Amino acid sequence: MSTPDLSDGGSISEATDPNRIEDTEWTAGEAWERYGSKVVTVINLTIFFIVWELFARSGAINQLFLPTASNMFLALWDGFTTTAPPGAVISGSIRDHLLYSLTNLSIGLFIACVIGIPAGLLMGGSKYVEKILSPYVWALASLPRIALVPLFILFLGFTVKMQITIIALSAVFPIIINAWAGVKTTDESLLAAARVFGASRAELYVKVVLPFTLPFIISGIQQGIGRGLIGVVIAEIFGGSKGLGYLITRAADTFNSALLYAVLLLLVIVSLTLIQITRSLEAYVAPWRRVDKV
Amino acid sequence: MSPVETGRRGAAPDPSFAPEPAGAVPVIVSRDLTVGYKLHRERKRLTALRDISLSVNAGEFVVLVGPSGCGKTTFINAIAGLVQPWEGSIEVNGRPVTGPGPDRAMVFQDYALMPWRTVESNIRMPFELQKLGLSKQEIDARVRRYIDLVDLTGFEKSFPYELSGGMKQRVGIARALVSEPDILLADEPFAAIDAMTREAMQGELERFVAKTGQTVVFITHSIDEAITLGDRVVVISYRPGQIKEVVDVNLPRPRFDYDVKSLPEYSELRDHIWRLVKDEALQTAHGAK
Repeated sequence: MSTPDLSDGGSISEATDPNRIEDTEWTAGEAWERYGSKVVTVINLTIFFIVWELFARSGAINQLFLPTASNMFLALWDGFTTTAPPGAVISGSIRDHLLYSLTNLSIGLFIACVIGIPAGLLMGGSKYVEKILSPYVWALASLPRIALVPLFILFLGFTVKMQITIIALSAVFPIIINAWAGVKTTDESLLAAARVFGASRAELYVKVVLPFTLPFIISGIQQGIGRGLIGVVIAEIFGGSKGLGYLITRAADTFNSALLYAVLLLLVIVSLTLIQITRSLEAYVAPWRRVDKV
Repeated sequence: MSPVETGRRGAAPDPSFAPEPAGAVPVIVSRDLTVGYKLHRERKRLTALRDISLSVNAGEFVVLVGPSGCGKTTFINAIAGLVQPWEGSIEVNGRPVTGPGPDRAMVFQDYALMPWRTVESNIRMPFELQKLGLSKQEIDARVRRYIDLVDLTGFEKSFPYELSGGMKQRVGIARALVSEPDILLADEPFAAIDAMTREAMQGELERFVAKTGQTVVFITHSIDEAITLGDRVVVISYRPGQIKEVVDVNLPRPRFDYDVKSLPEYSELRDHIWRLVKDEALQTAHGAK
């Protein structure tokens, strides 16, 4: 073996070449592996809606309870292309209700983050804060939020404040618990490494604990969105005169099953979209956590 | 208590491996060091190391071997300033260790790279955390030089999860060397690396520290690695860890090039250390029952 001359760039290594990656053609099998699941999903959903359409048309179930898929899509289309006439209690317009619900959800989630992230970080960072707060966090997190709705109606009436309180309260606990867990599980050897290289206590938090916890906080927000959406619907079903939850109850009351199913489908789409956005966000801020995922 | 005798390097044909001058300076001095950790749940504390007295001279390569759980890691953590002595003392450059300092750096077995930082950013981290009085240009040049040294040029913007184990540890080594510390601490740095890469990296490390004159305290489970790298091999006994024997290794350097494994002295040393470690390993196995 030849002796590398350290004075002009010898190395501690096995040989590596950064230009090892070349372009290559895909075989059909590889292309299928990459895009196949998307194709399957589209076919799968198409079949689902066709079967639904045929089943509903057969009249096995009264169309008052199960509309045809085409009617549902029509209701959804009308809902987005028309606005409610002024003063109308209930119309087919979904747009305004969706906007109202999403606005409340955003405000509720924002409040949940503003409270939940610092609370979780403090609980993870300080034994005393943890000891004091953890019984309340676990108690409230395990209490079904719906049980608190009458109480908030009592305090705040049938108002937007009541609805946002319920949304924030639904979303805040997953955020607190995830941020807390993130801080507590920060890799000991990363902390030791930072200390060896001179990190102060404050630097340990800023340069190790926070970046380590960030993906945990994002999964907390992801769960918070799911819970928050439940909070939106509950709050609007219980007390309100606007929003998707309200629209569901009104659609049911007026036997407008097409609209009812349209709103349900819309809730699924909204929920999946929001979760997908946080997933992409998580993948963006913490690429090392999704190496084995697609 | 007098410091334990210091080891000397064997006659070396390569001029950069010249024997140390007489009157070598001790840089790490541990006197009757006893240290351990608390077991919170049981209201007990566990002594990891007892009465460790060891003196490491400037430029010396000391390797610690011993069974799992014997407190080797605790010893280098004490040198690093991550744990404080219960009894006795540990001094670096004549001053008692009260915490980590820029004169010491460490390489970790599990690499301990920040996963959210690129290769370059990980290697730059010591400069962010320590005030070493270097200008930005000097730091940039230094970081580039050490990336080049560990042969990761082209991978500056890669994240650790994109690298192989050997490459990750080269980042860990560059991060430890980049601030050019007097003392390099290494806790089983090559344990998770495949055998061929490992041997190559041993050779490069030996060559590098011989050139810089850095003092190294190195932990390993491999007796071959200990003999290949160490001026002295310190065998530590099982719980609580005590020094069982300090073995001088007087083999020519650079050992990687001289193929010291074929020398009869090598087999004798290997046999001798193996006997010492075997007794302890058996105790570990019994203790584990």
